[in-house]
Amino acid sequence: MSALLTVTNLAKAYRGVHAVEDASFCVERGSITGLIGPNGSGKSTTIDCISGFQRLDRGRVMLEGADITGLTPQKIARAGLVRTFQTVRVYDEFDLVANLMIAVEPFRSVGWHDALLRTGRYRAARKAAETHARELIELVGLTRLAAAPAAILSYGQKKLLALAAALMSRPRLVVLDEPVAGVNPTRINEVATILRKAKAAGTSFLIIEHNVEFITGLCDHVIVFDQGRKLTEGPPAEVHNDPRVLDAYLGIEEPAPHAVAEAS
Amino acid sequence: MRELPLAAALLGLALLPPAFGSNYLTGVALSGVTFTVAAAALNLVFGYAGLLSFAQLGFWGIGGYCSALTVTRLGGSFWDGLVVAVVVNALAAAAIGLPTLRTKLHAFVIVTLTFALLCGLVARDWVSLTRGPLGIPGLPTPRFFGFAFDSPGRFYYLVLAYAVLALGFLYALGSSRIGDTMRAIKQNEPLAQSQGVSPLPYKLAAFILSAVLTGLAGAIYVFYLKVVDPLFLDFYYMQTFLIVVIIGGAGSFWGVVWAGVVMVGLPELLRFSNDLRMVIYGVILVVAMLAMPRGAAGWFADRKITALRASLR
Amino acid sequence: MPVTATYLLQLTLNGLMLGLLYALIAVGLALIFGVLEIINFAHGEFLMLGAFAMAFALPPFGLAYWPALAAAVVAAALAGFILYEAFLAKLAQGEFERSILITIGISMILLYGMQYLFTATPRMVDTAFGFAGIHIGAIRITWTRIIGGGIAAAAFAVLYALLTLTQFGRAMRAVAQNREAALMVGIRPHAVARNAVVLATALCGLAGAALAPIQLVQPGMGQAVIFKAFALVIIGGLGNMAGAFVAALALGMIESWIGGFFDVIWQEAAVFTLMIIVVLIRPDGLFQRGGMRVG
Repeated sequence: MSALLTVTNLAKAYRGVHAVEDASFCVERGSITGLIGPNGSGKSTTIDCISGFQRLDRGRVMLEGADITGLTPQKIARAGLVRTFQTVRVYDEFDLVANLMIAVEPFRSVGWHDALLRTGRYRAARKAAETHARELIELVGLTRLAAAPAAILSYGQKKLLALAAALMSRPRLVVLDEPVAGVNPTRINEVATILRKAKAAGTSFLIIEHNVEFITGLCDHVIVFDQGRKLTEGPPAEVHNDPRVLDAYLGIEEPAPHAVAEAS
Repeated sequence: MRELPLAAALLGLALLPPAFGSNYLTGVALSGVTFTVAAAALNLVFGYAGLLSFAQLGFWGIGGYCSALTVTRLGGSFWDGLVVAVVVNALAAAAIGLPTLRTKLHAFVIVTLTFALLCGLVARDWVSLTRGPLGIPGLPTPRFFGFAFDSPGRFYYLVLAYAVLALGFLYALGSSRIGDTMRAIKQNEPLAQSQGVSPLPYKLAAFILSAVLTGLAGAIYVFYLKVVDPLFLDFYYMQTFLIVVIIGGAGSFWGVVWAGVVMVGLPELLRFSNDLRMVIYGVILVVAMLAMPRGAAGWFADRKITALRASLR
Repeated sequence: MPVTATYLLQLTLNGLMLGLLYALIAVGLALIFGVLEIINFAHGEFLMLGAFAMAFALPPFGLAYWPALAAAVVAAALAGFILYEAFLAKLAQGEFERSILITIGISMILLYGMQYLFTATPRMVDTAFGFAGIHIGAIRITWTRIIGGGIAAAAFAVLYALLTLTQFGRAMRAVAQNREAALMVGIRPHAVARNAVVLATALCGLAGAALAPIQLVQPGMGQAVIFKAFALVIIGGLGNMAGAFVAALALGMIESWIGGFFDVIWQEAAVFTLMIIVVLIRPDGLFQRGGMRVG
């Protein structure tokens, strides 16, 4: 099995606080990997460092053999690693299709003069991109609102739009930062279905989430963080029953049997 | 484009003023058109790229002095003067923009502001070059192969021709993918980065293009005034450009164009004293910021969104 | 110019007073930025209002300096109160550009309004002290200058005491350093912001009132200094009052010394260029960002 993303000895500190101490893990190609851990365990910081939005102090990030350590966020995105944000980000003033069309990937062989003069090359790229965008909007179930400004979307809908926008760049790896936090529980299964479809189409995922049920039902592999390091990893069921994981979340020495049962 | 009828109507309207036979009226219209172009250029860097740049005032002044000096000192023609204005402003904008665009918002505003003030100081203090407070008077009439733009009416059409070119370019750019990307960067830069966009080239392009367009407007305008002096860099011009952009709605091409037409024409017609007019501008600015921060265009857009939301629930 | 000890002393004293003047303005700006996170473009106009208030208050008091000064400071503080309650309070936290534009508008209203009402003609302001002064060696300094400098120094001493010893002042520092934490401890941001604005405008008004007998009073007098004050606040570290104070004193000294040895003509341009360079090299200021919260 080949590793799509390899993170080695990542470390990041803020004003003396070691948010990430020494994190090392891999994400396999073609998988949906979960990243869980209590608040403050360094998950978000790790994601920021991997995706270029924060400078890392130490460590190495490899994307399928290419070293993307310390590159700008846009370079990393163009290399194939796209992320979404915990506080959902969309362009409020643009309609849904326009939101997706900002993606650089479909226009990578189109220059500024092409765009300004609306040459044939530009128009061809635009047509293809628009078709793809509408397909993705259909995938996340927002076709009805495609021509409306993103400002009118609900919080959960915005998260779906953000997911579609991430997929627009045809990334190899999508890093989702709490994709179902604050989403209506009835919609959470929809999101899982969408992710499985995308996985089948060849995209790999690394998902940060607190929703245990969501992670367990969806992920092939789960990594657990605690206090800035990887605590353990493995298949969801295994991780779920690991007493160390429970300890990290609840801070108790030995879980009573009935406590473990209730958590599942 | 669907706004073609509107644009044609506006152009038709714009052809009228000299026909009224009043030099005063033509002068007002001329100023209006010039300031509208400058405001539209500010709109590119502020409304589209999201950069509150006070450097525009500096480029406006540099343009004016460049064309004046080229004609009076270097013996060039009016057109040579325009070329010099373009080149100098492009270089200056690149030189200022590259280090400054990387800074955070607060520092950016202060540096661009200081740059504009610095230009004013150079105009006032580098007497050997600019003749200081005396300014450079007696700018000759521009000629084109023997045709002299020697009346306000003729000069008006010269200015209008530039305005059509400049506004046409700004429209083409603003409505293109480049303009969309600029607006994306303004709305949410991290999101744009996660989509593969490099913000700096777009910001720099907006900065340099608006510098060149504003500088050209200034370069032409001084030949209407027939003199350029340090007052050409007074903060008053920046305030005027800013008001037009704010009222029209930063980021809206047509909003700013219409605001320019209304804002400059109106006070002249109402014949207020200069000071009182500026007080009213200030009041408008404050009221707009409190009640309609996104200008007229933004206000309309917000109502559309509210209506849309209501109809969907 | 013969470079005598007296000359250097004169330059230094000049620089000190100039620096204290800049400091009164810059520290107020830094305070407003620290607590509200906005740059007050109208700040210079409060200097002008203080000067005009002094000019108008002196005749009724028979040109007595101190009562007129007090009245001027109160007037400036009142204007600051209105500035906050009527305008700035309506802005949400972090609406930086909107705050710039609103304060530009207010600056325009004040400046051109005063110009409309009182014309741009500079006016001389006379006090009971007249032109009397003292001699230090070959230098002659008027009382109004000495008192002006003394008032400024005293104002800073009082300010320091307020900020370190009183709840009023500590609350302001708390909000400037960490807004969320201050809220959690029960500090009311609205009241603190209002106090900060009033205090800052009072300082500025004080500077204007002290300046009134020293230099000519005209509506545009605030504009001349305000832009330097902006740069001082940035260089000192946004929101860092001590940094702004040090930067202001340094600027006063540098300006005085450059002006003393070189043609005054290039002095301002040199200073502004220096500021641009410093801001570009160290955008977060030469000192730390006054303990402002991250990001």
